[in-house]
Amino acid sequence: MTDVRPTSTVRSRHVAAGAAIGLTYRVVLRQLTSRGRIIGLSLLALIAPLSGWALGSANASLDDAVRLVASVGLGLVLPIVSLVFGGAALGDLREDKTLVYLWLRPMDRWPIVVGAALAAATLTAPITIISIVAAAVLTGAGHGIVAGALFATVIGLIAYVCVFTLFGVWLKRFIVWGLAYILIWEGFIAQAGAGVARVALRKYTRSILVDRTGVNLKLADFSLTTAVVVPLVVAVAALAIAAWRLSNQDID
Amino acid sequence: MSELPPPTATLPPPLPGQGGPPAPPAVLSGMIAVNAVSKFFGSVVAVSDVSFAVNDGVTALLGPNGAGKSTLFRMMCGLTPPSRGSVEVLGFDPRNDRDVRGRVSLVPQQDALLDHLSAASFLEFAARTHGVANPEQTAMQALATVDLADVGPKPVGQFSKGMRQRVKVAAALVNDPEVLILDEPLTGLDPVQRRHMIALFHRLGDEGRCVLVSSHVLDEVAKLGSRVLVIAQGRLVASGDYRDLRELMDDRAHRIRIGTSDPRRLATVLVDRGLVSGLSLDAHNVLVDTLDVDSLGRQLAAISIEIGVRLTEVSPLDDDLESVFRYLVEGR
Repeated sequence: MTDVRPTSTVRSRHVAAGAAIGLTYRVVLRQLTSRGRIIGLSLLALIAPLSGWALGSANASLDDAVRLVASVGLGLVLPIVSLVFGGAALGDLREDKTLVYLWLRPMDRWPIVVGAALAAATLTAPITIISIVAAAVLTGAGHGIVAGALFATVIGLIAYVCVFTLFGVWLKRFIVWGLAYILIWEGFIAQAGAGVARVALRKYTRSILVDRTGVNLKLADFSLTTAVVVPLVVAVAALAIAAWRLSNQDID
Repeated sequence: MSELPPPTATLPPPLPGQGGPPAPPAVLSGMIAVNAVSKFFGSVVAVSDVSFAVNDGVTALLGPNGAGKSTLFRMMCGLTPPSRGSVEVLGFDPRNDRDVRGRVSLVPQQDALLDHLSAASFLEFAARTHGVANPEQTAMQALATVDLADVGPKPVGQFSKGMRQRVKVAAALVNDPEVLILDEPLTGLDPVQRRHMIALFHRLGDEGRCVLVSSHVLDEVAKLGSRVLVIAQGRLVASGDYRDLRELMDDRAHRIRIGTSDPRRLATVLVDRGLVSGLSLDAHNVLVDTLDVDSLGRQLAAISIEIGVRLTEVSPLDDDLESVFRYLVEGR
């Protein structure tokens, strides 16, 4: 064994927020990148373009195309892919007990959360954007739906990833809770009325799509400004709560 | 590094039946100061009203599995807050003070590492997350410290348990910590590595760092250092010098199983010579209680030759940690 004492130059110091974000981003990105997860989610995401192609082959109307993108793309592919990556971003580290290697460091909590969410978004973006935009293109319903699908996907992706990052920090079975939110709350309960739908992100992404295409879609009556601003505010709030929760929870 | 006074923990430990450890001073101080700390998980009391302070050098925290050692360590690192009382590390609250976390290192008990990284990358990551100026060089130094300098690019996920343990220890050194908390760090190490690691802990302690090492193996603690804290059932049952603890253990009655070709004949002689205070027999063994284990040990072989019986086994039945704790806690 050699001299145990590192040189005096290695005395630790506070880690700047930017560096903490970068370090967390890299380690979480690598943790999330498993071949099985990416292949599985890519196969799931194929549902959207395949449905779009089928619809486009049948010369369906713009209304049908928008409904398809809203339900399969924005209502299913986008939230599920975001859940898997967003929830796992810190949830996996918490569950496999490696979170301690970030938590027990001289860094603030919010950069850890931001870095993890960015890593999740990095993996979620290509799968969801390609899938949903391809679906819109393959319906053959024009440029409006493609632009709307792209815009709605980007806004929805930011919100969903941040909310599910919070789920991963807070909840032990984040996948179960996330699926319950997507399938039961957004897919079922939020359909019951406009009041309840306000707390469903799906309504905001649908509103963006409607604004861009002019199609009349159920539960999509927010203005473009509201439909963009609210999800972004939700995203910031989710990250802030996640950072607070990370500071105050027990770490194994 | 530290000019602080020696640990305030004292011996002798509470004698059995004398009502637990002595009342602690109002507020203890030290590199690590634990004052009247309790931790509850729902209705389960994991740690109950524990107070002690430790300073530079190696201190062993001894306790059976489930005694509350890891919970205490987690509180010292701020990973979980105490339900009652306070924990201070280097004068700060480890739960809420960001910067003190850079002066403390933990080797966690769990076998969790970032498995996709090589040992060098993992240590480099640890150094960067501590804000160390020269992470590559520091990582290599730390790897060399635990004899893993030549381990190559293999991911730590493919390492043996012992190698993973050494990687965890190396990762805890990259920030040049003033306080080093090691939760069962010798688990999975072979005897040679165990010896090296114990020597490393002593060197770290001699440099003025506060090194707190937990173990549930009595013999390990004997080698770790003279200062011990003994915890059982969430309570601090003894603290101070290991030799005093050992002496206390040696003063009590010991139970020994002696395997022999003629248990009845051997038992008769042992009773006649006053070497045992109680015994029982079965077909192949004599189970004896003795207050003078040394005399019994010295005379047993001679007696067996003298009376012509063969000895097949001599095993102490109560030298395990559980029985030590039982003795300290319950007086039996």
